[in-house]
Amino acid sequence: MKLVRTYRLTAGLSQRLTLAEQIFRLIEPDLRLFVFGAIAHPAAQDALQEVLKAIAISLGKFQGGTIKEFWGWCYRIARNKLNDQFRKEYADRMHPTPPDQLWQMIEASAQDAPISPAVRHDLQYAMKLLTSSKPECYDFLWKHFVFGLDYADIAEEKQMNYDSVRMKIGRCLEEAKSLVS
Amino acid sequence: MAEISQKDQLALHEFSVRYRAGFAQTNPTPEASIDTVKDAVREEYEREQQAKRSPTIEPSSPAPERQPEEPDRE
Repeated sequence: MKLVRTYRLTAGLSQRLTLAEQIFRLIEPDLRLFVFGAIAHPAAQDALQEVLKAIAISLGKFQGGTIKEFWGWCYRIARNKLNDQFRKEYADRMHPTPPDQLWQMIEASAQDAPISPAVRHDLQYAMKLLTSSKPECYDFLWKHFVFGLDYADIAEEKQMNYDSVRMKIGRCLEEAKSLVS
Repeated sequence: MAEISQKDQLALHEFSVRYRAGFAQTNPTPEASIDTVKDAVREEYEREQQAKRSPTIEPSSPAPERQPEEPDRE
């Protein structure tokens, strides 16, 4: 967040370029994960570039103060961009990723931070919860628990109210737990 | 509806952190993405400079008052 706040206050071009590079090296993988999960592959790369451009242009106007707010703001820009320019390819429901591909990412993360047996057990449990849910529930659970979007962001996207989203996510999780146990 | 248990929350949070970290590690940011960002920052900077040089809401300069024409002298 410090980088984003500094960017907002920075007037010089070269400093802005340096800060923007640092910020986007941190957030680009998450944005790519989102775009490639929502758009069919041939168009996904173009879509990602458009999303990055839109966020970079507006970066100095971000008014929030927390990482959660910043990510919610980036996500809204990304979603609007995909809706406007890639409507044909945009599925507002995430494409489920096969469990073996999900697990590959978990194993990759272990290179920097080894996974203890207890944590490994929890991660397998979490992955089962996500992958055993119905496609509609997968989308809600993934956006909330993996992308970290709050109920309000999801409510806006789904044109639902906050409490309906909260209850839906709770129900989806209960359902997934009943299938896992 | 039951509240989401802390155990589930923690497991899903750990999964999110690990999954995103693993994805970032196996898919490093391509330079093309950074170039796109830098181009956009440059464009925006240029727009701002342009706006400073010629503000869109410019106080309109009053039209020079016309002097009453002098009657033709013959």
